[in-house]
Amino acid sequence: MSLRLDRPLPVSARLAWRAALLSRRRRLFPYLLIAPSVVLLLLLIAFPLFFALKNSFYFWNMQMSPMPLGFVGLGNYGMALHGPVFMVSLMNTLVLTVSGTALEVVFGLAIALLLCRELPGMSPARAILIMPTTIAPIVVGFLFRYMYQPDGGIIPWLLSVAHIPVPARGLLGSPITALPSIVLADMWEWTPFCAIIFYAALLGVPHEVIEAARLDGASAWATLRHVRLPLIARPLAFVTMLRFMQLFNTFDLVLVLTRGGPGSSTFTLGYMLYQQGLVDFNIGLASAMTWIIVLIVNIFITLFVFFVFKDAG
Amino acid sequence: MAVKSRTADTLAYLALGVILLIFAGPIVWFILLAIRPAQTVFAIPPVLHFTPTLEAIEATFVHPGTNLPQLFNSLVVAVCAVALNLPLAFPAAYALSRFQVRGRKNIMLWYLGLLMAPPIAFLIPYFVLMSHIGLNGTYLAMVLIMQTITIPFSVWLMKSFVDDVPTELEEAARVDGAAWHTVILRITLPLVRPGLIVTSMFAFVFAWNNAAFPLVLSSQRTETLPIGTLGYFATAGVTWTYIGAAAVAAMLPPMLIFLFLDRYVVRGLTFGSIKG
Repeated sequence: MSLRLDRPLPVSARLAWRAALLSRRRRLFPYLLIAPSVVLLLLLIAFPLFFALKNSFYFWNMQMSPMPLGFVGLGNYGMALHGPVFMVSLMNTLVLTVSGTALEVVFGLAIALLLCRELPGMSPARAILIMPTTIAPIVVGFLFRYMYQPDGGIIPWLLSVAHIPVPARGLLGSPITALPSIVLADMWEWTPFCAIIFYAALLGVPHEVIEAARLDGASAWATLRHVRLPLIARPLAFVTMLRFMQLFNTFDLVLVLTRGGPGSSTFTLGYMLYQQGLVDFNIGLASAMTWIIVLIVNIFITLFVFFVFKDAG
Repeated sequence: MAVKSRTADTLAYLALGVILLIFAGPIVWFILLAIRPAQTVFAIPPVLHFTPTLEAIEATFVHPGTNLPQLFNSLVVAVCAVALNLPLAFPAAYALSRFQVRGRKNIMLWYLGLLMAPPIAFLIPYFVLMSHIGLNGTYLAMVLIMQTITIPFSVWLMKSFVDDVPTELEEAARVDGAAWHTVILRITLPLVRPGLIVTSMFAFVFAWNNAAFPLVLSSQRTETLPIGTLGYFATAGVTWTYIGAAAVAAMLPPMLIFLFLDRYVVRGLTFGSIKG
């Protein structure tokens, strides 16, 4: 049905047309408000990803040529998966991610419970505690590289005072201690983040509920395990998810602290990608790696989003 | 009982002291690095008593002031990223809060997913694409790509602030025949202004703290402060006091913003999903 606008409509029809147009505009209005941000983001995400997809099927080293050099099919994917670095990086990333997330959440929870004692002076303490989280990860990298410095850094010195042996090449220079040292730097930055959010969540648990559990003879541990933690399940899941993903994407700290070394003992997926694509300029291979990583990350994000945020938004 | 709880309190304070020492100590130690005489940097045992010197701060920010243009670049990139993000994020947040939009949940979850995506995965295609269209090394390239972080974050946080504003006033204005844009600009916007300011300040911190994008997309002329600081490691003898001075300058603005936004920290860090 089309409206003929070239001749005047009867009054009633004109009103109906206007109403229809208005309601149509009203229905479209929210989408018009959302569209610009979605379109820009789609362009910023989808365009590069498809570009990477195309490149992943070509041999292309940008130092040799400004354009792709030859179609290799799935060759780059095979090379990425079978190459020596990928599996090592994946393992390192998983160790870093799982240990970092677990330690930060557990210590964060412990600190949150301490803050919950509501002693005088806790409020400024909380404001100071969050400071590490405000610092850029790359700057945390500078700070820890300074503190890890083999000759005269404060951390090796403290360890030596405590009679704990330090590797001859320093904490970042030994394959055994390098990855844990990165975990430690990340823990310093993000444990306060976990603590502050858990603290805020625990404050929301009504006192009566805890009192009731106590009166029923539940121990402090049982109260925590069966009453308080279930009541803050959502923030717990949110923080765990966020830390897991951010640790999985670790890049800045590795760049500053170890550059993947010694050997490949601290190569993470993020750093491997940077090394392949933006240091060695193997664009084809790096694009294949990008897609493998995007697929892995997407599985995690989808799982998290379905379990944690299925009722959000 | 009283004695026991007093012991418990003492223990709690002791634990709190240790925790603050662990988490605030390194920050103080870093700030001290910026004002240390160079010969005390790696002294064994560590030196706490020294005559403060402004030499490193002068070298980095006054004369010759190697890092001053980088500080300016950091500011330009972060401010422009927030400025571009606001007019895109606020309307989206408003619509997602107020209307029955089809697929609203999916849009919100997609935004959340973006916040957890690895920035480095996009960097290689961005780098190649930006080289092709000649945008490599420009502020524009960095500001545009920062939007992949600032927009999703701002939409989430702003939506939580718009959710807090009661709809009665808007409905009354609608009944009186005001157009939607009038309602949004004249009624909602003034009411959520504090929320917009809080969101913008957090978004500023996120953009300011992002190092991966400028690392790849900036040129020597447009590099941000942390990237410039990274340059000190490339030269033979690392001048640690200069790194200290530059890094402390990169570290202070976010710290001050968080102190200022104290009440909103939990909300900001959870993208508005926990009110705190």
